[in-house]
Amino acid sequence: MKTEIVESGNQVIAKFIGRLDTAAAVQTSEDVKPLLEAEQKEIVLDCTELEYISSSGLRIFLAIRKEAATHGSKVVVSNINADIRQVFMMTGFVSLFEIR
Amino acid sequence: MDLHSELILEEYRAALPEFEKMRAEVLHVLKDTLDRSGLIVTSIEARIKTEQSLSGKLALKGAKYNTLSDITDILGARVVTFYTDDVDRIAAMAEQMFDIDWKNSVDKRMLHQLDSFGYNSLHYICRLEGHIYPFELQLRTTLQHAWASINHDIGYKTGVEIPREYLRRINRLSGLLELADDEFSRIRTEITDYRRRVQQLVQNGKLDDVLLDGDTFTSYLQSRPFDRLNRRIAAINQAEIQEAPLIRYLRVFKMFNCNTLGDVDRIVKKYEDDAYRLARHQLGNTDLDIISSAVGVQNICTVYVLVNGGGKLGLVTLFDTLNGHNSQNEAIAEMTYEQARKVIVDN
Repeated sequence: MKTEIVESGNQVIAKFIGRLDTAAAVQTSEDVKPLLEAEQKEIVLDCTELEYISSSGLRIFLAIRKEAATHGSKVVVSNINADIRQVFMMTGFVSLFEIR
Repeated sequence: MDLHSELILEEYRAALPEFEKMRAEVLHVLKDTLDRSGLIVTSIEARIKTEQSLSGKLALKGAKYNTLSDITDILGARVVTFYTDDVDRIAAMAEQMFDIDWKNSVDKRMLHQLDSFGYNSLHYICRLEGHIYPFELQLRTTLQHAWASINHDIGYKTGVEIPREYLRRINRLSGLLELADDEFSRIRTEITDYRRRVQQLVQNGKLDDVLLDGDTFTSYLQSRPFDRLNRRIAAINQAEIQEAPLIRYLRVFKMFNCNTLGDVDRIVKKYEDDAYRLARHQLGNTDLDIISSAVGVQNICTVYVLVNGGGKLGLVTLFDTLNGHNSQNEAIAEMTYEQARKVIVDN
């Protein structure tokens, strides 16, 4: 599992590559820390190359969303595959995130 | 400038550090008290009169003052509120915060002549404990502040007296703003009463008497109508429930032609079990142990659409209504339809 963070204008894009499962969650939590400080930005969680997400991964997304709200930033989840879309739908997370 | 005024100016220069301390203290006390009261205001500010401004004042009426302490507005603080009622509430708080010099304090709102309006603010001359100099506290509404600022700009700043015709028009505006201020206060009071009445009806279960709108739906949500269903769904995988905003479902229930909270509540009760069965079917074979509090109402709405023959297209409309039109909604609807069909439609 790899996480790449790129800042571009008003956006901070976090690209998730691989499987965000329980084993990968500890490292990913560390990798996304720069996102937690983004002020007044649009934070894009780019899931184009994310193959799988577990509950631990959802918790990381949720932590990013909570911090973003306190810093006036907004979180968008983009390009989720069918499996991840299903996870978001079943858990009601479609109501928590803007999905593009 | 005469010697007397020069002496007052010298005293002013020597007292500036003291006024700086007072300014910080007054701001701190005002902000702290208002924060604790939960009262929201437009602004809290404080300024120290400049030497230039004081010189101008002394040139005009220096003989009136024996010492610097006789000039009550060297430090001026101002609180600008949204509503006229709040001016009175803050005035009452100020009476607890500071020592008020009642002899020199003026409620200019009470000074209106029958044929004029004008500068409608409350001025208190106050003292802070441990300080010898007084300061002025002005309390006014946003509209009074706008009127006073504009009037100052066009009426007095140039020092040129303006023709009566323009004064008359300025005063007409003042009257209009006074009416607007009163009306805003009345509207706030009536909305508060309305919300109380709605909450009472919701608490008493008289949901058919309550028309569906943003306010009433918020009251309904405060009664936590989806908690039981969410807890049942969470129990499937011993999941934790994350709070999600549900107000956007108002648009969905409006789309379902619900006119009252009673209509909403009947849908919730009627489809609760099917919504649970859908969640069990979806989550039962997973180890997902986190859900959002929107999952219950989301499933209720999904079931409602399918039972009422909305099909895939109805689900696309549902997700478009919830999330705004988005290319992902079609895929979400397709997936939901395939899963729900096995639980709802096929049964």
